[in-house]
Amino acid sequence: MAAPPHDADDSSEPIPLGQRLFDNVFLLLGLGLLVMLVAFTGWGMWEILSLPPATLP
Amino acid sequence: MTAPVLYPFRTCNATGHRIDLSAERLVKVNAVAAVVSLLVGAIAALLLVLTRWQAIHLLPAVWYYRILGVHGMNMLIFFIIFFEMAVLWFAGTVLLDARPAAPKYGWFNFGLMVVGALLVETMQWSGRADVLFTSYPPLMAHPLFYLGVIFFAVGALGVVGQFFATLVIAKREKTYVGSMPLVVYGAMTAAVIAVITLVHGAAVYIPTFLWSIGLIKAIDPEIYRLLWWALGHSSQQINVAAMVAIWYMLGALTVGAVVLNEKVSRSAFVLYILFISMASAHHLLVDPGFGSAWKIVNTSYFMYMAVLASMVHGFTVPAGMELGMRLRGYTDGLFGWLRRAPWGDPGFSALVLSVVVFGFFGGITGVTIGTEQINITVHNTLRVPGHFHATVVSGTAMAFMGATYYLLPLVFQRKVAFWKLAKIQPYLFSFGMLLVEMGMTFAGSFGVPRRHWDISFSQAPFGVQFSPAVDLFLAVMGIGGILAVTGALAFIAIAVKSVFLGEKVTEFTRGVAMEGVPQGLTHPPVHPANADEMNEAMHAPERGIAGATPGTLVLVGVFLVAFMLYYFTNWKLLTFLWKIG
Repeated sequence: MAAPPHDADDSSEPIPLGQRLFDNVFLLLGLGLLVMLVAFTGWGMWEILSLPPATLP
Repeated sequence: MTAPVLYPFRTCNATGHRIDLSAERLVKVNAVAAVVSLLVGAIAALLLVLTRWQAIHLLPAVWYYRILGVHGMNMLIFFIIFFEMAVLWFAGTVLLDARPAAPKYGWFNFGLMVVGALLVETMQWSGRADVLFTSYPPLMAHPLFYLGVIFFAVGALGVVGQFFATLVIAKREKTYVGSMPLVVYGAMTAAVIAVITLVHGAAVYIPTFLWSIGLIKAIDPEIYRLLWWALGHSSQQINVAAMVAIWYMLGALTVGAVVLNEKVSRSAFVLYILFISMASAHHLLVDPGFGSAWKIVNTSYFMYMAVLASMVHGFTVPAGMELGMRLRGYTDGLFGWLRRAPWGDPGFSALVLSVVVFGFFGGITGVTIGTEQINITVHNTLRVPGHFHATVVSGTAMAFMGATYYLLPLVFQRKVAFWKLAKIQPYLFSFGMLLVEMGMTFAGSFGVPRRHWDISFSQAPFGVQFSPAVDLFLAVMGIGGILAVTGALAFIAIAVKSVFLGEKVTEFTRGVAMEGVPQGLTHPPVHPANADEMNEAMHAPERGIAGATPGTLVLVGVFLVAFMLYYFTNWKLLTFLWKIG
């Protein structure tokens, strides 16, 4: 994919922190798993397991 | 010191990329497996629409539900994931000029996936897994069905691991400079979401398998639903990321699209990684076991971050195409770049149709029906498949088909067979699917349930009468289904003929059109030498808010108006359901 001409990288410049974070594949993998496991799975499991038992009619 | 290249490779005549031959073979077999799965799924689709079309009502109940399960597994799992494995092998090796990590292990993983798929198919077709795609307990299938799913998932997870290892190799061996290309970044996003998905798949299917062989006494249906949807919906988010990566690739190949802003596009992919999997909670919005806070945080606050990402891509992909075309001199008016685009190139038409239907139909309906309050009017109606056929089929499958028209000459080194048919195939398939989606959505708006064999409830002890308009909408769905399946079968015929009997092509002479070779390969879009100055001029402040891509800005405005109208109309419909006061 070609970048627009004015955005050409200058390899002599230090790599910005944001770019280094975005390039860290395993950090992104860890964060993706963490957010899902906490917000969806963990919280959801807690909601189910903390339900009071239903009373029989 | 640079190490000599010791592995067998060839250099692509069109792109100049170094293609590792072992990785190329893995791309090919995964793509072929995807097309075989598509064939099974498409035949099942035809049987299903001809059953849900009440005027025909083809299949008996047992076979309807059986085939519905077959359709779901083949289309949503086997076709899509086999193709995504091909995308990962392609992006990780070809686009990075890298060698694959442990290619022999890739064959083991592919074999595992094939064995898993065959086990599932055998169990489903023989009637030992009539549990639908979701296989909710207490419905129980034969243990080999669950084992098949586990084999398939383990094989896919293995390939994802190899993709990550390939990225490490490419970085270590410096096959690319700086950050990885954006298309590979999109594939990496898909791979991360695949890990999230498959971890949940293991968490749900391993206990269910143990339950089916009697080692576990019972499966909690609510916990199953929670974990299963983290697999079932997230697997479709792998598609979204892979599809968007293909959008960027096809844009560059067909019209010389540029990346407007690397930071923005990559930020959108990171938003996918962090938040898109939470959309799984949509399926649990009417489950009583979860509180509103969990539902709203997951399907609104977090999920809207992923929606934002999709809207970013929905702007940057067409805007990149517009800027690329303008840099090549197509500068007349708002839409001159669009009028003069290569509409006869199936890679380009598939790209545009995928972007438009995914955004306008799939995206808008998805966000709307994923809202907790509105969802109550929609849940388990035919509107839900109306939505996801727009995303998974018109969006993802269409993009995959478009990519195939370029992969056939580039990877398989074969001309696209039935070239004239190939030129119209994206239009036929997309138009047919649009009818299916509209028919489903409108029928669902009248309350027609999803998955149900007989909406007349002919043997039920109570009477149900839908609006007569429902018959019209189901007929539209049926006619659309026939057209779409015809389009899918045309694609399969083109792919099979090209791969196995197609004319070999290894040279793409620039400037010379070739029957069966997309124009992006024979007439690669090249920007002029003064593109820098042109780009500066197009971004000049005096051009105002329209900027460098005024046409896309107008299209995005139309999209946002359509989005608002649909969203607020649904809130109005909700007020009809529950009148207050």
